[in-house]
Amino acid sequence: MSTVSVTGGSRRARPLLSMRARTLLTGYAYLVPAALCLLATVVVPIAKAIQMSLYNDVLFKPQDYRFIGLANYMRLAQDPVFWLTLWNSFVWVFGSVVLQFVAGFAAALLLHQAFTGRAVVRTVVLLPWIIPGVVVGLIWEWLYQPNYGVINDLLINAGWLHDRVAWLSNPDLAMAAVVFTNVWRGIPFFAIMLLAGLQAVPEELYEAARIDGAGVLDRFWHVTLPLMRPIIVVATATRIIWTFNYADLIFVMTSGGPANATQITSTYTLLQAYSNLDFGYAAALSVVLLLVMLAFTAAYLRVTKGVEETG
Amino acid sequence: MRRRRISASFAERLLGGPVLWAGLALLSAFAFGPFVWMLLTSLKNRQELYATPLQYLPRQYTFENYIEAWTSPITPFSRFFLNSLWVCSVTMVATTVVSVLAGYAIARFRFAGRDALLLIFLATQMFPSVLLIAPLLAQWRSLGLIDTYQALIYSNFTFTVPFTVWMMVGYFSSIPRELEESAMIDGCSQFGSLCRVVLPLAAPGIAATAIFAFVVSWSELLFAISFTTQTDMRTLSAGLLYMVGQYEVQWGQLSAGVIMSTVPVAILFTFLQRHLIHGLTAGAVKG
Repeated sequence: MSTVSVTGGSRRARPLLSMRARTLLTGYAYLVPAALCLLATVVVPIAKAIQMSLYNDVLFKPQDYRFIGLANYMRLAQDPVFWLTLWNSFVWVFGSVVLQFVAGFAAALLLHQAFTGRAVVRTVVLLPWIIPGVVVGLIWEWLYQPNYGVINDLLINAGWLHDRVAWLSNPDLAMAAVVFTNVWRGIPFFAIMLLAGLQAVPEELYEAARIDGAGVLDRFWHVTLPLMRPIIVVATATRIIWTFNYADLIFVMTSGGPANATQITSTYTLLQAYSNLDFGYAAALSVVLLLVMLAFTAAYLRVTKGVEETG
Repeated sequence: MRRRRISASFAERLLGGPVLWAGLALLSAFAFGPFVWMLLTSLKNRQELYATPLQYLPRQYTFENYIEAWTSPITPFSRFFLNSLWVCSVTMVATTVVSVLAGYAIARFRFAGRDALLLIFLATQMFPSVLLIAPLLAQWRSLGLIDTYQALIYSNFTFTVPFTVWMMVGYFSSIPRELEESAMIDGCSQFGSLCRVVLPLAAPGIAATAIFAFVVSWSELLFAISFTTQTDMRTLSAGLLYMVGQYEVQWGQLSAGVIMSTVPVAILFTFLQRHLIHGLTAGAVKG
């Protein structure tokens, strides 16, 4: 490589940079746009958010703008609504992800079977996942509508309900109602991921298990599940993080109400930034949100490492 | 022993037949039912919409909701639609260029900090978008970009680029390196072999990446309502929310708006479903 070829090589001057260096430089050049994007839209804003959280920064009180150290965080620790939102976030994430997983797994098993019209059914089943969050929220607001909503009407006609229920304005029901909506939206995600996992299980293993006399359930427990563990872990963790951060749906449907019954930490942050225009406090909240997620991600990475080693 | 085998095959027949069909019917109805209800709502006139008892099927199909939503001067849905189309298209093209280059570099070149960079891209996807709203708002305001398309497009990069880079790394890694090497031996430059050999092979992956960027930007809400103040600058998501905020909720127009916002992404998705699914799960299945 480094020696110039014997025939006619002397005509070409030796390049200024070695091949290796040029390759490496090209590589870095290709990375520049992505790095700039990240820097301008993620790295700098996060640094800025951390800085903002240390200031008293209320938009309509510019005269009070000053450095206050950790005062926003102290206020947060004493804010009962903040602790309520953490609990609500837990209910929201746990309820959504568990139900999405179970229903999504069932959907994946169904879609894995060979039947006519599978492509059509698959598209239909995946639809709720790709439409905008606002659209999901509005559709379900209309379905839940107390007087003209179809859900009340169906339940009353079926005899399961006596009076019309105001699903989204009843503090005892609102959380269940938004979680159910989120489940509708999230089933396709698990269905896609787990379907891919199912398709990656070699058919021979099922054959071997069948010959050994394993029934349907045995095969599911001892062949399907163990082989799918990595993808189950990845899909669930991704979904937990995503659901924890997700604010659109609740923001559209209830804005965290009634009486903070559906207020999760991310919508509470939004509320502080939007309605109260208290950017300092909102920034402190979002930094806490970030820390919770980082802790979870670190734990998740350790677990997946374990999965890779054993699997 | 024999009995056990019989019962197993019976269970299999049950699962393969009635259970499968019942499950599929239930699943499809649950997934698609709400859309059907929205479509029916959008085709009803005002009396039928608010009739008691509830009227399921419209007696007279009418498109007046669509026409009103599209041409309304107070909530100009056509304007929202075009805004979204422009913002998402530019986001899509820019994201694709950026992530093809970065994905190729990460997949092909061994350089210091490669793993760290990949991890940063992964971690970025886990950041709550509410974290970015206040600082980005301050940033766009100081640059005078409030109520511009640029602010929305740049902001969309925060969630499109990290994910699409990962998708592209997966695609490029699956293309054998020898192909480029032989192209380079035949006289192609590094960039030439990328354009002539790798890109054509990765075309399905690139298409999936582009569609993904388009679809997620189409859904974006929080940035759109934070960085725009004028009605004329609202995107679809922000515009739909704005329609709710105006006087009493016009469910007829709103349902028409919902259907019109769903159709474009549904069509895109149908065309590229297979590739998109492949791209989304490529990393996960391997990992």
